[in-house]
Amino acid sequence: MKILVGIKRVVDYNVRVRVLPDGSGVDTDGVKMSVNPFDEIALEEALRIKEAGKAEEVIVVSVGGDECQQQLRTGLAMGADRAIQVKTGESLQPLSVARAFLKIIEREQPGLVILGKQAIDDDNSQTGQMLAALWDRPQATFASKLTLSDGSATVVREVDIGLETIEIDLPAVVTVDLRLNEPRFVKLPDIMKAKRKPLDVVPLEDLDVGADSNLSVTKFAPPAQRAKGIMVEDAAQLVQELKNRGLV
Amino acid sequence: MVNFKTSGATDALRRACPELRLVTEAGVLASHGRDWTRFREPAPCAVAFPKSVQQVCELVACASAERIPLVPSGGRTGLSGGAVAAHGEVVVSFDRMRRVLDFDPIDRTVTVEAGVVTAAVQELARTRNLYYPVSFASEGSSQIGGNVATNAGGIRVLRYGLTREQVAGLKVVTGRGEVLECNRGLVKNASGYDLRHLFIGSEGTLGLVVEATLRLTDPPLPSKVMLLGVGGMDALMNVFDTLRADLALTAFEFFTDRALHYVRAGLGLPKPLDTACPLYVIAEFDCPTGAEEDRAMASFERCVQQNWLLDGVISQNDRQVAELWRYREGISESISHFPPYKNDLSVTISRVPEFLQRMDELVDEICPDFEVVWYGHIGDGNLHMNILKPGAMELSEFESRSHEISEKTYALTQSIGGSISAEHGIGLLKRPWLNRAHSAAEIEMMQGIKNVFDPAGIFNPGKLL
Repeated sequence: MKILVGIKRVVDYNVRVRVLPDGSGVDTDGVKMSVNPFDEIALEEALRIKEAGKAEEVIVVSVGGDECQQQLRTGLAMGADRAIQVKTGESLQPLSVARAFLKIIEREQPGLVILGKQAIDDDNSQTGQMLAALWDRPQATFASKLTLSDGSATVVREVDIGLETIEIDLPAVVTVDLRLNEPRFVKLPDIMKAKRKPLDVVPLEDLDVGADSNLSVTKFAPPAQRAKGIMVEDAAQLVQELKNRGLV
Repeated sequence: MVNFKTSGATDALRRACPELRLVTEAGVLASHGRDWTRFREPAPCAVAFPKSVQQVCELVACASAERIPLVPSGGRTGLSGGAVAAHGEVVVSFDRMRRVLDFDPIDRTVTVEAGVVTAAVQELARTRNLYYPVSFASEGSSQIGGNVATNAGGIRVLRYGLTREQVAGLKVVTGRGEVLECNRGLVKNASGYDLRHLFIGSEGTLGLVVEATLRLTDPPLPSKVMLLGVGGMDALMNVFDTLRADLALTAFEFFTDRALHYVRAGLGLPKPLDTACPLYVIAEFDCPTGAEEDRAMASFERCVQQNWLLDGVISQNDRQVAELWRYREGISESISHFPPYKNDLSVTISRVPEFLQRMDELVDEICPDFEVVWYGHIGDGNLHMNILKPGAMELSEFESRSHEISEKTYALTQSIGGSISAEHGIGLLKRPWLNRAHSAAEIEMMQGIKNVFDPAGIFNPGKLL
């Protein structure tokens, strides 16, 4: 079985994001870029399945410009066998990404597709669900545990009221949550090996997927600043301050 | 304590400084009467919490007149007993002087009161898109006043230097009651003795630092961290030499396999490498583009070919940067329950292997029954030696045995031109061995300086000198 894993290049989780002065986007100049943390968990899970002997090949796929090859190489260094870059200069909406993934699925015929439950830059959480619908295969979203058996998968999902366990037939799309696993450190010797692993570049145009979108972003703005707090001397002053503000 | 007023000190202070908050509750005396060391029982007679420079001046004037011994106290994370009050002293806590007074974007300085926590300065710098580079394990509790008094170092000294390099100005209250404004934030000031530098590292023996103006710098470039498995001590220096030549290192820290054992057990961390190695290194370097990572790879490969390095991992995001740092930063905490007897030694970088080799022989000879955990800042020639108390041994016996070891350790350190305290300070615990760090003539001059600033000898008596 092949496993396909989606990887998105995003601003590192720990970076304090700054909105550009003209509101056209966020400042990514000189900012650390990383693999979307949920995608990293997706890849870790795929690698563990392969290491357990339940899959033969792990393929990482990213949609974007050449800079996303850096994140694909990270995926290869973690242990993926090969990488595919769907090359585009456009910033795609989830539906277009799902369509591109579907084309790759048709070529590669994977038994399982694992994606992050969402990307931390736009927080859409749509690609996995749209892909399952386009592919007409089962989906299990927000997975915190994944167990494979012959032709099916048991998935524990994190839902609002707790945990839900479902069983789905393979092939399927699984999107993963934070608690599924802890991704490994990359071994330095494996980074060198990763340079010799295949990385195919497929232009988006060759997949016959349009980059057109019904959505346009009008403006980015930082969250409103919180008013500065004050330090009170004692309980009496606290009560007085609360009274002054009409809160008690 | 001879010639000092300890009985009645509280009453005298209450009379002279009615506005000053003076606490004598047992819990506060216990908490504020000591730092992280555990070899002396805290026994101050009171803890003063001044709120302003004015209150500090009144307090010092009274203490000076009445000969009341004062122990300056910051975040109390010191490791040499510098903030321990075990003889009825009055502790002067800066917990209520936590204001940020000024930020100047042109000068790139921030002026804070002494009680501001180190991490708060780091955070303030970050919000202004700048950087305060002094960083160490206890930065969430330690205060700027204490950082100045001990010339705090930490993990980024290799790139940015010690606290001394960041201090652009100091406001200090001396034992004569004067308020000194040292250097006033100037970059250049060639006008004679720079008294600022006397107060930095003075361990509270010359005056009370009440305000500091600190330099901020450009935020660091995106960085990566490698955790490397090293073949041995000589290899360690070769690895340092190679990486320093190839990369813009911001930190180069080492620890032993025994340190790894305790940090993994204490913090529940997974094995970082598949290969077991005698020594490990945390190397952090600027890595804004793929080119630097390629250079790091080439550097790593060369070290592997020479058998200097046996294995290694590299961070892929800032979360992993933090995770890898825990293997080094968590060591101190993971062995704190023994408790360890800490030595904080420094030698010139080139003599680190020789020193560690001879220390190994010394330990085998005089205390084969003790476990010794080594870690430190190789790039600064700074080695932290932690002798762990065997579970069954009494604390007093352990301390006296540790003293014997210290005696020989310091003699060895002195013989190769090193220092018995790299960054923790002399405080109470290292005071008997000050003569291993300075000549008699130097110590006499230090005493003379002390007499000028603190003629009544009220500041931190029994510490340092």
